[in-house]
Amino acid sequence: MLKATLRGLLAHRLRLGLTGFAILLAVAFVSGTYIFTDSLHQALNNLTNSQQPDVVVSAKTQFGTQFNDELAPPTLNSSVVTTVSKVPGVADAVGWIQIRNVTMLGPDGKPLGSNQGPGSSGQGQSWISNPALAVNTLDSGQAPSNSSQVAIDTTAAKNGDFKIGQQVSIVLPSGQTVRPTITALVNRGLSGGGGGGASSLAVWDPATAAQLLLKPNEFTQIRVQAQPGVSQQTLADAIKKVVPPGTQVQTGQEITDNTAANLSSRLDFLNTFLLVFALISLFVAAFLIYNTFSMLVAQRTRELALLRAIGATRRQVTRTVLIEALVVALIATTVGILAGMGVALGLRGLFNLFGAPLPGNGLVVIPRTFLFSYLIGVVVTLVSAWIPARRAATVPPVAALRDDVSIPTRSLRIRTLFGALLIGGAIGLAYNGLRSTGDATNAATLIGISALCALIGVLALAPILARGILMVLALPFAWTSVGRLARENGRRNPRRTAATAGALMIGLTLMSLLSVVAASTTKSTDAVVNDVIGADFIVTGQNFRPMPHAVFDAVKNTPGTSVTTYSRATPALVPGGGDEGQLVTGVDPTQINQVINLDFIQGSLSDLTDGSVVLDTKTAEANGIGVGTRVLLLSQKGVVELKVVGLYAPAGFFTGYVTNLAQIEQMGALPLDLAVYIKAAPGADVSAVRTTLDNELKPFPTAQIQDQTQFKQQIHDQISRLLVFILALLVLAVIIAVLGIVNTLALSVFERTREIGLLRAIGTTRKQVRRMVFVEALLMAVFGAAVGMILGVTYGILLQRSLIPEGITELGINVGQLVLFLVLAAVGGIIAAVWPAWRASRMDVLKAISTD
Amino acid sequence: MTENPPLPEPITTTAPAARTHGLTKIYGEGDTRVTALDSVDIELGAGKFTAIMGPSGSGKSTLMHCTAGLDKATSGEVFIGDVDLSKLNDKGLTKLRRESVGFVFQSFNLVPTLNARENITLPMDIAGRKVDTEWFDTVVDTIGLRDRLTHKPAELSGGQQQRVACARALASRPAIVFADEPTGNLDSRSSAEVLGFLRRSVDEFGQTIVMVTHDPSAAAYADRVVFLADGHVVDELLDPTADSVLDRMKRFELQTAAAAQQTNSEPPSAQAGA
Repeated sequence: MLKATLRGLLAHRLRLGLTGFAILLAVAFVSGTYIFTDSLHQALNNLTNSQQPDVVVSAKTQFGTQFNDELAPPTLNSSVVTTVSKVPGVADAVGWIQIRNVTMLGPDGKPLGSNQGPGSSGQGQSWISNPALAVNTLDSGQAPSNSSQVAIDTTAAKNGDFKIGQQVSIVLPSGQTVRPTITALVNRGLSGGGGGGASSLAVWDPATAAQLLLKPNEFTQIRVQAQPGVSQQTLADAIKKVVPPGTQVQTGQEITDNTAANLSSRLDFLNTFLLVFALISLFVAAFLIYNTFSMLVAQRTRELALLRAIGATRRQVTRTVLIEALVVALIATTVGILAGMGVALGLRGLFNLFGAPLPGNGLVVIPRTFLFSYLIGVVVTLVSAWIPARRAATVPPVAALRDDVSIPTRSLRIRTLFGALLIGGAIGLAYNGLRSTGDATNAATLIGISALCALIGVLALAPILARGILMVLALPFAWTSVGRLARENGRRNPRRTAATAGALMIGLTLMSLLSVVAASTTKSTDAVVNDVIGADFIVTGQNFRPMPHAVFDAVKNTPGTSVTTYSRATPALVPGGGDEGQLVTGVDPTQINQVINLDFIQGSLSDLTDGSVVLDTKTAEANGIGVGTRVLLLSQKGVVELKVVGLYAPAGFFTGYVTNLAQIEQMGALPLDLAVYIKAAPGADVSAVRTTLDNELKPFPTAQIQDQTQFKQQIHDQISRLLVFILALLVLAVIIAVLGIVNTLALSVFERTREIGLLRAIGTTRKQVRRMVFVEALLMAVFGAAVGMILGVTYGILLQRSLIPEGITELGINVGQLVLFLVLAAVGGIIAAVWPAWRASRMDVLKAISTD
Repeated sequence: MTENPPLPEPITTTAPAARTHGLTKIYGEGDTRVTALDSVDIELGAGKFTAIMGPSGSGKSTLMHCTAGLDKATSGEVFIGDVDLSKLNDKGLTKLRRESVGFVFQSFNLVPTLNARENITLPMDIAGRKVDTEWFDTVVDTIGLRDRLTHKPAELSGGQQQRVACARALASRPAIVFADEPTGNLDSRSSAEVLGFLRRSVDEFGQTIVMVTHDPSAAAYADRVVFLADGHVVDELLDPTADSVLDRMKRFELQTAAAAQQTNSEPPSAQAGA
């Protein structure tokens, strides 16, 4: 029996090879995901472990670190350093400075790096000479020693094409620009990697750093080295007793553990995110495996019947097929893990490409990766091959003796019923989802489950759909006999056509769903910008960090403008704002309503006075706040009590608490502006105003001026980057689906040897035979893509409806993009047909029609 | 071989629809070398129904395949009308089959996804030619399946399927129709229907038909029977009856048996030429 199995393997090596390739791709994606995150984990752990001193003393606020730029940086002065260094057991204690929003300018005078938000903001630091406490290590050159010198990180040097000895312009958070000489290039260390990719790093000697970034003798952190034999914990406990209240003391181990835990949870998220796509590929691959084994079994009906006739039991026949599957799975999984390393490198490349460079070079393959890969590869293959294997055993032995037998195909009735039930369930869920307004998360979850039901339901109904839909799709080809033949070939075995197209259907459903959601998000933000922003121009800081007030002063009296106003913000703990705090915005109520049109349900902006606040209806409802309610806010200057005087409808990113400028200053806002809004005077030449503004902003390289179109474009770019990133992850599933088409066509051509021979005998040219196979492939691909797309777009629309409370108020459908998907699917189908078509056209006519 | 009777002169009344000259077909090389056809000269008369008979391995199917442009001759010439098949590439041969040749095979003769009408018009559809409706009607009425035209092959009996296949072969008015054991899979009643139809198409439409068969009663429908053995034309019979064909075949079998006995006593090298 085993011998027969192995012979079978050899005889069908080509088709099994294709199946194996599908398993390989899916396993490669799964193992690649694990290898990628494991490698990243190790690289980050190495980084954190190697760079922690024994004890770190840091100044801290009660707000999340994401608000550091809106706060006066919490500092420790040199007296604390002295106190700490006198604690018994301390070998060395060094004050260190680390500040964000320090922007390095490239040779073109523009900020280095992309403008992507707080995480990519540049950093300023002070140099530590004690290597045991140092954050950075020198790559080349001499450490900076006076105010005219600076060390920059090697990556920034590469990006800005800077060399040691050259001068570099650096804009400080205060808006001041300095131009020191580069004396050294340093390794980024954690500040670059763990910080989420700061665009640049500038390191000064400690005195200069304090002067430029804080005040003389002030630090953000004290890094402590223990004497030999003194444990970190003992030292930390001793230090805790002497530092001022509100100061945080952590051992190096604590920081490492915290960072590791933090990294783990972030990497777990990344891992889960990537695994979702890996599982989609796996699901598609399972389809292909099932399909291939079904076809192999059908093709070998006589052979299997012969085995039964000579005394093989049903179980033995089943086992034959399963052993075949097992061998293929083992080989494919092994190669798949190797390919996974390539996928891991590819993922790293993908992240680099999309502006999130990751540290580390090595690849880490731990036993868990092997275990998972084999488990998934083998189990999925065996389960997918199980049903066809069972069916193989039902072949009656007498079939071996008859001429034309096939495995009795079961009626589609049960399948149809199952599909119809699922679709019915999906409709019910979607209906409930749409009705549960107000709770967007719940609604979206219901819609999501509904989508899954609908997808499985449509896959179940696909054989029935295939017959009708192929008729319609084939209309452009139906005027030629070749086209009609291709159509009928597709309709002849609707189960097979459906299974083949099903793989593509899954991919296209997800792709078009994402496309609709992305387009809707884009359109909704556009609508918000159009409705809410009355300003013609908005000036923001680099990476949307606060900018000096001098920017406002420079543009406020520009000819041709009617309104110029600014907003400020400061973090505070507010009702409904979480335990890390939330930014409270301060505006000039008499000016802001001319540039921002918020829809006030109750009250208005002009009611804002000192001691009052307005907020969005959503936060208000969630926290039982109404007009007249007095709310308590904990700002960095202490608790303030404000009276709610108005409620506005949340509009996209315009949400939260808003008060006036005097109030926000009382709450500790720095004299830095979040945004400056400018409105052109009626009848003014807007482009001339823009030119003037551009000139006025020249001294402020970190100030970004955008008109409405640019502002929208920037949001569009961010959304489409994310979309492209996710689509890139879905591509693998589509590739596997295309392999499935190759497989089905190859087998279908093989099965129709006689028929194709006959066609050739009565005068069909090779070209016509090729065209027939191409059209068949095209129809299958477009069928899968079209149905997937209808499903995807439908659920995209439903999801958008359910997300209206989340601000996705507009429905956007990017028809061009959807058409592109369809064209790509069609092209994929045609590529899949190249080899089967070639084989069909080269078929030996005589062999095909010989009667034995 | 000297025991074989001298070949009679080929008898034709009109210009031949197809002819071969020194047609030789060799399969394989070295030890596996088999001479399927050994310098065969034959003329297939236009408007005639010719049957080719012979025992298994006599080369009758190879002769048909080579004459119909399905297989390439090793040497020698094959003409359909004035066209020299040895000068044609695959494309040319396909065009020739499409325009000048019709086929009826023993089994698997129809495309299962097409109905009877579509199967009949398939050669014209593939060639992109218009269907001659008058001729189509004539052919369909002759096969007597007008009420079955919309049926798929699976819904037709074996005999009906084969009559549809015959109609397809005739529908494009080819210069010559080749039928390879057309009744091999049919019962005697269906066989009679199919053969009767082929006969009528020769008598009424002047169609040229070449049929390979090993059934004497099928051969009896032909105008002329050509006997093949070991790659040679060994005899022929005009206006055959089932009995005269059977007679002739018995004679061969005796001769072949005698020849076999003789060759068996000779060294193996002589077998190749036999």
